[in-house]
Amino acid sequence: MRLNGLTMTAMNNPTLKRWGWVTALGLLLGSCSPSAKAPDSAPQSPATGAAKDFTVGMVLVGPKQDGGWNQAQFEGIQAALKTIPGTKLEYVDKVNVADRPNVKGSQVADDLINKGAKFVIFNSDDFKDDALATAKKHPDVTVIHASGDYAWKEGKNFKNQPNLGNIMGRMEYGKMIAGCAAALGTETGKIGYLGPLINDETRRYASSAYVGAKYCWENYRKKPAQDLTFKVTWIGFWFNIPGKTLDPTKVADDYYNGGYDVVMSGIDTPEVAVQGKKAAEAGKKVKFVHYDLATGCNLAPDICLGVPYYNWSFPYANSIKKAIDSKYVSEFTWLPPDWKNINNPETSMVGFNEGAALGDNKKFLDEFIKGLGDGSINPFKGPLNFQDGTPFLKEGEVATDQQIWYLPQLLAGMEGSSK
Amino acid sequence: MKVELKDISKRFGNVHANDRVSLTVEAGTIHGLLGENGAGKSTLVKVLSGFISRDSGAVLLDGKSVEIKTPADAIARKIGMLHQDPLDFPPLSVLDNFIVGKTGTGLIDRQRSLRQLQQLSTHFNFNLNHYETVANLTVGERQQLEILRLLSLGVSTLILDEPTTGISASQKTALFKAMKQLASEGKSIIFVSHKLEDVEELCDRVTVLRHGKVRGRAEIPCPDAVLIDLMFGRELAPPLKPQTRQSEPALQLEKIRVDTDRLTLRLGDLTAYKGEVIGLAGLEGSGQQQLLLMCAGLLRASTGQIRVNGVEMTHESYSKYLDRGIGYLPADRLKDGLVSGLSIQDHVALRTPSRSLFVDWKETLKQTVQAIATFNIRGKPNTLVERLSGGNQQRTQLALLPVPLNLLLMEHPTRGLDIESVLWVWQQLIARCQTGTTILFMSSDLDEIMRYSDRVIVFSGGQASHPIAVSDLTADRLGQMIGGRLSDTLEPSVIS
Amino acid sequence: MTKRIFYYQLASIALAIVFITAIILVVGASPPSVITAMWSGAFGTVGQFARVIATLAPLLLCASGLLFTFTAGLYNLGIEGQIAFGAIVSTLAIRLTQDSLPPALVIVLAILMGGVGGTLWGLLAGVLNVYGRINEIFSGLGLNFVADGLALYLIFGPWKREGVASMSGTEQFPESLWLPTFGNTDASPIALLIAIAAVAITLIILRGTYFGLRLRAVGQNLRASYVLGIPSIRQLLSAFAICGGFAGIAGALQVLAVFHRLIPNISSGLGYLALLVAMLVGLNAWFILPVAFFFSALNIGSLQLPLDLDLESSLAGVIQGTLVLFVLLARGVSESLRKPSTTPLHKGY
Repeated sequence: MRLNGLTMTAMNNPTLKRWGWVTALGLLLGSCSPSAKAPDSAPQSPATGAAKDFTVGMVLVGPKQDGGWNQAQFEGIQAALKTIPGTKLEYVDKVNVADRPNVKGSQVADDLINKGAKFVIFNSDDFKDDALATAKKHPDVTVIHASGDYAWKEGKNFKNQPNLGNIMGRMEYGKMIAGCAAALGTETGKIGYLGPLINDETRRYASSAYVGAKYCWENYRKKPAQDLTFKVTWIGFWFNIPGKTLDPTKVADDYYNGGYDVVMSGIDTPEVAVQGKKAAEAGKKVKFVHYDLATGCNLAPDICLGVPYYNWSFPYANSIKKAIDSKYVSEFTWLPPDWKNINNPETSMVGFNEGAALGDNKKFLDEFIKGLGDGSINPFKGPLNFQDGTPFLKEGEVATDQQIWYLPQLLAGMEGSSK
Repeated sequence: MKVELKDISKRFGNVHANDRVSLTVEAGTIHGLLGENGAGKSTLVKVLSGFISRDSGAVLLDGKSVEIKTPADAIARKIGMLHQDPLDFPPLSVLDNFIVGKTGTGLIDRQRSLRQLQQLSTHFNFNLNHYETVANLTVGERQQLEILRLLSLGVSTLILDEPTTGISASQKTALFKAMKQLASEGKSIIFVSHKLEDVEELCDRVTVLRHGKVRGRAEIPCPDAVLIDLMFGRELAPPLKPQTRQSEPALQLEKIRVDTDRLTLRLGDLTAYKGEVIGLAGLEGSGQQQLLLMCAGLLRASTGQIRVNGVEMTHESYSKYLDRGIGYLPADRLKDGLVSGLSIQDHVALRTPSRSLFVDWKETLKQTVQAIATFNIRGKPNTLVERLSGGNQQRTQLALLPVPLNLLLMEHPTRGLDIESVLWVWQQLIARCQTGTTILFMSSDLDEIMRYSDRVIVFSGGQASHPIAVSDLTADRLGQMIGGRLSDTLEPSVIS
Repeated sequence: MTKRIFYYQLASIALAIVFITAIILVVGASPPSVITAMWSGAFGTVGQFARVIATLAPLLLCASGLLFTFTAGLYNLGIEGQIAFGAIVSTLAIRLTQDSLPPALVIVLAILMGGVGGTLWGLLAGVLNVYGRINEIFSGLGLNFVADGLALYLIFGPWKREGVASMSGTEQFPESLWLPTFGNTDASPIALLIAIAAVAITLIILRGTYFGLRLRAVGQNLRASYVLGIPSIRQLLSAFAICGGFAGIAGALQVLAVFHRLIPNISSGLGYLALLVAMLVGLNAWFILPVAFFFSALNIGSLQLPLDLDLESSLAGVIQGTLVLFVLLARGVSESLRKPSTTPLHKGY
């Protein structure tokens, strides 16, 4: 007999039993009857083909202002919706086990759909099961899983779910350019790569950065490949989760203090830039390469070698327009840079903003980009071996899309674990 | 400073701990406060040192009436008390303990404090390592530290509560020397003790308390006999107990030694007979409780053997002791004997041997109602035990004793009980004895021991006398033994 | 319950509501809109209501278990680790048997092994407490870290997805090993039934058995119950074991019914939430159901705060904590003011 009286009364009255507390809160707080605004009326408004009242939902794995991946996604979708009148965005960020325990991505999507979303974007590879579950549960909703491969007919994991699509940029080009910039910037010949978790995508990017770095080290710096150290440290997730991941701040510091004068970021958040700035202010000659966000160099412009970034707005806008017109069919969108101008926001999904720290080496980088664009340079051309010494590409062999996407290991010459 | 306490009274419940007690201590003297445990000595000095508030009476310092409400007040009035268990902080170092409690504005000047501590130590010839952790010090060293700390606070009246318990002979010598030195420097000292020899060695004069009242004052030197008379009274109550002792031995102890943190109890051979009541007399903490706990199976003897009704029990578990019909009634009923928050009925159920998984509350209720009637408990089956009066708690404890009861061990069986309950309780106990139960009980009430025991064992500092038939006891003899002069003891001649 | 205590509790809830209102205003939101949002988040759709039920199941299990340890006077903060370890052992059982045994058997085995794992982890806290003399709060928190670390190690090490090392957890188990749900929702009738059975068992054991009575005695006064002949150590260890067992089953349900895999933070903070429930319930198991339901609704409804109002969902935690704090405060105040002569709080049987 120790509980409060409210629950006592509630126990005696079956209808009050469940709502007693909340009702009491409501009555006392503002005489607002909770049932006054029934949420049931909101969903299922008939979706006419008109662009009016089209709601787009987005499930973000990290904070929407993380200075990286999530911010690029969030700004991308906002820009996209600005170009399509009558659309509206509903989103939840920080959807991960640490920030929102007891919440699954699919549940967030349910709530977004409940709020009227007809088009839902999951923005992280980790959401692949949630994206598929949501697509199955809501066949009338278009589900986009950014960075996933379930819609890739030629891929290994094709699921044939008509309302599930993938959108991704061919960031391996961005990473090659980034790796080249790193190789052009390093004095010690030691490049550190701060990696997130390990999967196909992250192996692909770390390896791309390495082959780009190796190419420019040999061809522009005119130094032998064995003088180049390229080390990858994985922290375990896309951003720091205290106690669960390695601390990216500490990993970045270890690089800068350990003779790695160029550190590349592969994670969502800007620890590499922030710690690099501190190290530079303390007199160390260090530089960094950022990732994900076009404005990434602004964090420490003087020591920034550049930033490969995504332009999510136009591919998202294209798919949303198709969905509004009920013309969306499942597709695997994997867009390369627009080689005419890789920084054109309307046509190039992958771009690279060069940083001030490049200095005179800018000409080499531009030459490299031009070579990638016209096909005269292809760093993913044999001979290339895997980290364990087994051959990846034979002499003269060029990697296929599948070989690049599903890269099973890091490449020979790189330090760090592959799995 | 001259300290005067005038007509101090203090009640705890219906116990008169101090009943118009007056005491005058002249500056530069050592005043003894003598009396058996529970006489009211500690209450009186705690009133003076601000640990408890008096009900009536006055405190005068150098003739001026003052109010002392907290220990901090007392320190401000230059009165410091050294507790039996020094109130220090064991995890801290000697120096930190010395600094704690100093008033200051913010920052600690450790260097200055260290110099002060060194000076004081040298002055009194105390040998303390200033960086040692207090937890590693002996009681005597902790006392020395506490004295120095109090002196550094400017104390001019020092109260020592039973300071010679648990310290070595050389520490005692050093302590007494320091006290005399302090007195010669004009400080007034109150020395609380139950040990005649200490009082006679150290004090200038003495006030004797018994049952909360001043029984007399004396100048030292003074013959032992006079002081013992004052402490214990001239008259002993006449024995009341009928003859219940049988010839069969019930409890047999051989070469028992019990070691605890505070005390080592050395007991030789002892036999208690069926139906016999043995009273354990002595100042509290002299070893009686250790004997009771050991016989109850709650405390292991370091050496020796214990047999109950001829069955070897030395290494048995407590539950075996219960199974053998050995019962124990602790003094602190709500701490050690009964479970607050549980009703009488719950207790009855707990003591029922459980044959099934579920409690048969109907049957338990029946048993409880019966127990309440039999033991005349004023309470309902669902009354929580903490809501019962002391007497009814004791009746409840009696109701929960195992049946049949072979051996009963009791601490202060009637403490805090009204007269009616006392008589009733003993009536029940004697009835048990008539059926063969053997009782060992300790009490600080000598009258109770005289009235209800067949034989008496007197304890002092871990030594125990041979059992003495109550008819052979005189007030003089008992008093002297309690005061520490045991003529011959139970201790075996050879101790390994 | 006496009238006076009733009023104290009422006053404490009123105070808590004032306090919560103030917090909501300080963070710049309007209290009615917060309530509306949370309400719609918990009960707006069948799916959301089902999530409330899905969270209710582990919450009931853990709160029931905690009633045993609370009754024994123990603060089992190690419950999170007991959930996690139960989930780990359950996952192990699934991995070992999913290819050889029929799915139904695998599920039963996984639930049982979850209970076994939780029991072991609970007993470990108990052994550290009883024999190692480590306060159960600290041993529990320490074991939480160990269980968490173990889960992380397994997820990033031996149990990782092929070619992947990520916080997102192990490979999803095939759908045949998911506990069936009500329609297309997240709520599993089996999980709910198990949880309700746990509440019933708890009620029966604590009120009707010698074990429950002894546990109460041990919780109220360890020394006296020993003197009365109660095997105190066995009682304490049993309380840890039972609580751990229930928590471990909750962990197994998190794996089988909710996440369908082992993830880091598999306990999702539900153990701590259950601690709040148990504290609010006191020793009165009857109230577990409504209180746990209310807390589950708050927990689920809170997701609507960032969606509707751009507020942090952690506001729900503030509300839960505040309620518990004020109710405990009222209990403390009314007990310290309780006159010895008033009618007993305690009801007979």
